[in-house]
Amino acid sequence: MLIAQLLALAGLIAGLFGIYLRYAETKRRVLPADRSPIKGNVSHGIAYAFTTGMLPWAKESTRIHMIAYLRGIGFHIGIFTAIGAVIISPFWEYLPPVLSWILFGVLTLGAFLGTAGGVMRIVEHNLRGLSLPDDHFAVWLTTLFITVTGLAVVNEAFLIPMYVVAAMTFVYVPLGKIRHCLYFFFSRTFFGKFFGRRAVFPHGVETP
Amino acid sequence: MTETIELALKTLEAQLNQPLETALEACARCGICAEACHYYRAEPKVEHIPAYRAEQLRSVYRHEHDLLSRLFPIWTRARKLDEPMLANLAEIAFSQCTLCRRCTVNCPLGVDTPLMMRAIRAMATASGTAPEILVMLADAAIEKGKDPSFYKDMFLEQIKEMEEQLRDVTGDPNATIPVGKQGAKILYVPLAGAHTILPPAVIFNAAKEDWTLSIFEASNYGVFLADVNRARQVAKRIVDEANRLDVKEIVIAECGHAYASYRWDVPNWFAGQFDFKVRSLIEVMADYIAEGKIKVDPTAIPEAVTYHDSCNLARNGGLIEEPRFVLKNVVSDFREMSPNKAEAICCGGGGGLVALAEYAERRLTAGKPKADQIKNTGAHLVVAACENCRLQIGDLNEQYKLNIRTTALTDLVVRAMRLPKPLPGNETEHLFEGEKVAVEK
Repeated sequence: MLIAQLLALAGLIAGLFGIYLRYAETKRRVLPADRSPIKGNVSHGIAYAFTTGMLPWAKESTRIHMIAYLRGIGFHIGIFTAIGAVIISPFWEYLPPVLSWILFGVLTLGAFLGTAGGVMRIVEHNLRGLSLPDDHFAVWLTTLFITVTGLAVVNEAFLIPMYVVAAMTFVYVPLGKIRHCLYFFFSRTFFGKFFGRRAVFPHGVETP
Repeated sequence: MTETIELALKTLEAQLNQPLETALEACARCGICAEACHYYRAEPKVEHIPAYRAEQLRSVYRHEHDLLSRLFPIWTRARKLDEPMLANLAEIAFSQCTLCRRCTVNCPLGVDTPLMMRAIRAMATASGTAPEILVMLADAAIEKGKDPSFYKDMFLEQIKEMEEQLRDVTGDPNATIPVGKQGAKILYVPLAGAHTILPPAVIFNAAKEDWTLSIFEASNYGVFLADVNRARQVAKRIVDEANRLDVKEIVIAECGHAYASYRWDVPNWFAGQFDFKVRSLIEVMADYIAEGKIKVDPTAIPEAVTYHDSCNLARNGGLIEEPRFVLKNVVSDFREMSPNKAEAICCGGGGGLVALAEYAERRLTAGKPKADQIKNTGAHLVVAACENCRLQIGDLNEQYKLNIRTTALTDLVVRAMRLPKPLPGNETEHLFEGEKVAVEK
């Protein structure tokens, strides 16, 4: 057990270090200064990009694909819950039973939504055309991670597999497509700066 | 590696800043951007999904920059750039994307796919694989800036004739079209053609504006090539003219890419703030109406009118409410398209597509969603505050038998003003001494 735990810890450290390297690599690149006179409000734009701009009804695409979007949100909640669960796993025995069952419920739902995402990538024409081997691997790896973490919450026999899969997942984060978790923050920030400056989003906010 | 490929890759490297690297890295390939693109809406296939188009550049980027891709290229479909790939990339960026940014707005991660398409355009331009006509048009504008005396006399002669027409239609013997007026408040930059000079001149004279006309046109084909060096040289003609005349502001004619580039990009190309500000003629007209500097009759145009949001003006430019304010003051039956404003669908003519005859069929097919939108409003008069959009919507009218007319916002404002005579080419209806008079051509 201790070896498995150390393996997961090593994986987490390696993953974080890899993500840091990615972050440093991107930050090393030039960030062009925008000298055009501001019409809107950059801070409001960034705040919009991370809050109301992410609501399912904020964009035409997510209004059309509401179920797919919510599936993705649920899947990602499952992933982050699983990461949190693994980190606090040495203290699970102190969790009230009701919290354990909530944890199990969230992870089960996440695993189900991850499986749905994995299947969609195979059967849906557009998604299949867009997907790389990296995409298929990433969705199934994270789904497996959520699944074994959920099982480990209710059955100790899954603790070692959980740590092993967690280690694999953590190591893979900076290597494959899962690193979009880092670039999400860059991307939404640039989105907010661009559209906020031009008073496009949030609509109606203009510099006097 | 050939010289062409070397140049293309060098250009990619030179552009690789934080926003571009982010756009190349952030996509989760969820495909939710599909319907955001008018190409996909018109022809739903994988190749028309913005994420798929961007993947073509990402495969090159990964080959150069990603550890896993270098070890196992098949895992991420990383590919070494070669000439057929570069030709394909150029074809995608110049003919299958109008840089409208609708996919960015609709992406849960906000991936800036047009930024990647611009990167490809720049690679193609640097390596000599960009459409020749765009290069020629940009270079011609640069040459024109080097020696304006070559055509200036002819231009001034034409302006003199236009001035006569201006006095004729306004009934004002003192109405003028000043050129090169030192210290004027406004330097108005038109497009090529009298239709972007005479109606604004009517408005400037009615508002008693202190203005002067630029001897250059606002359009900038360097922007379509994503060639900052060329674009800067084209813009420099007008920046220098504004500085030389010591004007307070540059006002850009109704033109999407010209407004977006002068308002948002030019300060960055010249690495600093200017002493003058940049506005669109739309904003100026809105202010004149709000301040009562020009009188317009809101009942002058009774027919149903709809407005097309140019992507460069609205989504990329922030001019969303200003044209609507003007319209609501000059028409009595204004009908919005759906969706509109920042969510408006591109007409398909942007990104220089209108100038590329070889892609005309593709452009008209991709314009089908816009044609459907127009049809659904029931309006037969379509206002577009962008020359390229108007050309495209005019072509869509023929292609899809829409039975519509297109007009510039400025023309509508002039029609709603009280003029003794109509402007040439705008004789269908006007007001005379407060009474509506229909004058057919």
